[in-house]
Parts: sequence; C-alpha cells; structure tokens
Amino acid sequence: MKITALLVLKVNPDGSDPVILSNASDVSHFGYFQRSSVKEFIVFVGRTVAKRTPPGQRQSVQHEEYKVHSYNRNGLCALGFMDDHYPVRSAFSLLNQILDEYHKSFGDSWRSAQADNTQPWPYLNEALTKFQDPAEADKLLKIQRELDETKIILVSIQPSILSSLLICLVHMNGCLSQHKTIDSVLARGEKLDSLVDKSSDLSAASQMFYKQAKKTNQCCTLL
Amino acid sequence: MADIAHAEGESFGLLQELEHILESDPLIDEIGFIHPTQLAALNGEVDVDSLSEPVSLNFFSKDHKLGISTQILFPLYEQAKKAFFDVVTRYKIQGGIFDSPNTRDELEVGVMKHSKALLLLSADLGTAWNSRRAIALEKDALSTYMDELRLSELILSYSAKSDQAWSHRRWVIKRIAGKVPNLQEILRKESELVEKIAERSKMNYRAWNHRCWLVSYMTAGEVLYELKKSKAWAGLHVADSSCFHYRRRLMMRILEAFCSRNASASNKSNEIYETWKELAWNEILIKRYIGREALWLYRRFLSLHWLRHFTMEPDSVSCKSKHTANTSDDGPSIFLDNELHLFSSCSTIPDNDFDDFQAQAMHSATYILWLAKQLPRPQAIELREKLNIGDMKALLSKLCPQRSFLWDSLEG
Repeated sequence: MKITALLVLKVNPDGSDPVILSNASDVSHFGYFQRSSVKEFIVFVGRTVAKRTPPGQRQSVQHEEYKVHSYNRNGLCALGFMDDHYPVRSAFSLLNQILDEYHKSFGDSWRSAQADNTQPWPYLNEALTKFQDPAEADKLLKIQRELDETKIILVSIQPSILSSLLICLVHMNGCLSQHKTIDSVLARGEKLDSLVDKSSDLSAASQMFYKQAKKTNQCCTLL
Repeated sequence: MADIAHAEGESFGLLQELEHILESDPLIDEIGFIHPTQLAALNGEVDVDSLSEPVSLNFFSKDHKLGISTQILFPLYEQAKKAFFDVVTRYKIQGGIFDSPNTRDELEVGVMKHSKALLLLSADLGTAWNSRRAIALEKDALSTYMDELRLSELILSYSAKSDQAWSHRRWVIKRIAGKVPNLQEILRKESELVEKIAERSKMNYRAWNHRCWLVSYMTAGEVLYELKKSKAWAGLHVADSSCFHYRRRLMMRILEAFCSRNASASNKSNEIYETWKELAWNEILIKRYIGREALWLYRRFLSLHWLRHFTMEPDSVSCKSKHTANTSDDGPSIFLDNELHLFSSCSTIPDNDFDDFQAQAMHSATYILWLAKQLPRPQAIELREKLNIGDMKALLSKLCPQRSFLWDSLEG
C-alpha cells in the first residue's frame, strides 16, 4: 500500500487546532484490532502536522517507513500519509491537485468551518485508490514553477527519542539541510509525549499502543 | 479441565474461558491484545440478544477475531504455563507407554489444548511447539497437520516475525509433501500468505525466507507463474529488499532448470527472455524511484546473470539474438554501453532536491565500479576506458567524503 490516508484541513492563523474538512483512509492492511487506533492516529498526526505547516509552505515528516506530506495553501491544507519511497515530487503534485479539486467542489465555504466534517468526499476516496501507484501521480505532473522554486529537505530524528511517532520539519527556500531534533522543532517546551497524553483525538487504547510501541521499539508500530 | 482445577485447588477460570472460545470457533484467524476500554467498546457494539452466552469482560470473540484484554494477560499466561507444563510432564513420564488408550488420548488432548493457549500468549516457546510436533507425528493424520498450519497462521497474525511459527510450517510441509495430491495448491496458498503478511509487516526477513524455501518444491512452470504474479507487488514495494531477494531465488531456479540436461530450447529462451525483461523493468523502477538501494542491489544480480549468457554455449546466444538482434560479440558491449548510459543519467544531480538524487548518484557510481570488477579482463578494460575515473573520483568524494580512502585508491 502506498498511500494510507489523504486529508484536507483548515488551518487557522490564530494557531488553534486545525479543523478536518475531509478524510479518506484505508486501514484494511492493519490488524483488525489496530484499525480504530490507526484512524485516531491519522487524525492526531494530521492535525499536529497541519498546525505546524505555515501558509505557503510544504513539509515532509518522516517516521520509519512512512512519510507525511503536508501543503498549506492560504489556510487550506492537504496532507498525505505515504510510504517512505513514494516519490516526494509525485506526492506534492497529488496534494496540489487535491487542493484544486477542493476549491472547485466547495469554493470558499471551508473558511467558516468550525467542527470536523465526517461526510465522505467521493473524489478523495477515489484519489486514494487511484494514486496508490505513483506512476499515476506522475501523469499529473505539469511543469509547476512554484514547486521547482522551493527546496524540500528531509530531516529525520534520532530513533532514541521516539519510536512510534517522529516529526521532522522541513525548511525551504535556500536553506542547507539541517538536522533538527524534535525538541527544536516543536515549539518552546512542547514534548510529543505530552501532546499524545493531552490529545482528545486519541482514545486510551491508542495511547496504550503508542506507549507500548515506544517501550518495545518493535517494527510493527502503528504509523 | 475440571480435574486440573480440582487437583491443584487453584483457579484456572481465565484459561478455561479462553480454551472454551478456541474450541467453539476453530476458524479464528486473528488475535489481538486490547485495552479494556477498547474491549468494552467492541462488546458494546454486539447485539446482546443474539449471543448464546453473556458478554465477557476479558475476551472478545466475533467474526473469527479474538481479542484478549491486556489486563488479564499476565494471570492468563501464568495459568496456561502451569497447566501446560503439568500435562506435558505427565505425558513424557509415561515414556510412550500408557495404561490405556483413554489415558493416552486424555493426555494428548491436554497437551494440544494447553500448548495452543500458551503459544497464543508466548509465540516462541520451543517446548510447546516441540510437544505439538511430537503428538502430530504420533497421529500422523492430515487433519492434524492442517490444524497445525491454521494455528501457526493465527500466531503469525500477531507475531509475524516469530521464527518458531515459520519453521513449524516448514516442518508440516515436509511431513505432508509426499502424501497430499494438492501440494501445489498448498504451496500457492503459502506464497500468498507470505505476501499478505509482508504487506502488514514490513522488512520481515523470516517471511520472505520462508517464501524462498518454498521455491525448492516448485516446478519450472510454477516458478515462472510466481515470477509473473508477484511482479506487481514488488513494483509497489521497492524498499523491501527481501522481496527482490525472493525474485533472485526464482530466477536462480529458472536457471537451474535451464542448465539441466533435460532442458528444452524453449526453456532456455524463456530464461533469457525473463532476465532481459527483469533488467528492463528494473531500469524503469530505478528511474521512477530515485535512490532506492534495493533496486540497485537487485540490478547487480541481474547484470551478472545477463552477462553469464554470453559465456555460454552458442545456441543459447542465438536464442537471445531473437530479442536483441545482436551478434554474440557485440552483446556484452551493447549491454555495458546501456549501463554506462544509465550511470551517467543517474549521476547528474539536478538543482531541486525533492528526491534523493544524491543517493541515486552514489548507488549508480558504486554499481558501475562494482560491475567493472566483475568483468573478465578485456571487457573490464573497455569499461574503464569509457568511464572517466578522474571525474568519478571527484563525484564520489563529493557525495560520500567519509569514505574518501576508498575513492582515493581507485586507479585513475
């Protein structure tokens, strides 16, 4: 499976939690009992990453064999949870396409959204299936000058710090690649453990999976 | 069960509950250890009136899925361990001689029942697996062997890398190999099982190792079928080096068939054609997925495999020429030129670094250097002449300065 989930969120300039506008996930390849937790984690990670994606920026977050790609275009943010080797360029051209389609279908109505939307959006579910093979996403690729102007540098985090959820931010526009630890990436004194604890997106069961995975450091972690 | 509780005067309630569930649903195919709140939520979704028994606080069982509350795991394990070791000790003490068939049956049933429960909690307990094998050997019945396959599949559902579970499957297959008419179908299912597990459990060397082992039981026709069938999956999982290792195994098996005295001309041209197709496909993947080491490693195997054809009998070469329309002398040169072309296209690093072009350049450079070392002298010289070693040194030093001692030793 190349793409596990595609999300569209509204990112508020005031820094409050982003609102989920659309969510298409395929958790069928996870174990029966893990599926509900995986869905919760997708929502949690999606919100956490989108919140830290400033407008006009693209980011890629690396965790073991998965990457979460995020693109915030004027407050409307598209996210993709993809396999580590899904070509980055293809991923962002897909996210671009998703934002275009969202505008076409819903215009600017999203600006007034206050609560998470649970209605499925058929286009996103179809995209999830269609673009499993990156070759399909490559066909979307037009010469996009804005993509070429930005540099995306992937940063990964020392495994000793996190085993079940790593977030690394990506800086753009001419920066040389810098290796940042999660502490310098999360704002002023935030720790991922406490984010997980406080999050209302994660049930007790999911938090248990997270802590277990940290302790045992197994390859069969959740996300 | 009642006799155990009575004899020891201890409570084996949890174990009894578990074993009851296992007995009433022999088709359970997945197990999970779940948080009590999740268990409560799952039980809450069940239609209580449709149940024949009250909802359990400790177990969830529906649609052939078994969930065990993490709260009771430790006491349950203790109970299972005690029950199992008690019965297996009694079984072994008999030394194969039993008072009556009933005693033997009772003990065998006890061992099988308790070892099953115990293995669900502790997948790698060798004693438990061994006792199951001992009894299965005694019974030597196909149904018992199939039960063993089902149990190990259940255990793999939560412990996909368990060495004991995988080797148990191999033991069963070896036992039934000569005795079942539908071995090929069983092998095919094994192969599909590995693929299903590899989808969930990435970088699972043991699973792929198992699949490689199956190849020795396959005919040449089946190997070709496997090669075709697993290609699409491999193309979408390019990080999984074990998957390409499996393809390597399949190709080697085809080569064995090719080299055997009974090999027909069609077998030979098949083999050549397959190698050529793999090479072309590998190149497409390399260009699509930038900087994936597994693809380059696979290419090393394929290149040698391909070049080997040119040192073989002339009639094999004439088969090849149907596809490449070259004389035997030009064959290696054409191939090497292609590899050089691939290398030079991969070693240009564009300005934007969306993808890992540096890794790609690194892999292509080391690949071409490695290839040069594998070639017989005349071709090696030809290749090195076409490569500009000086430029290559500069490129490698820039990409990977920490290994400069290696690049410096390249003969310029």
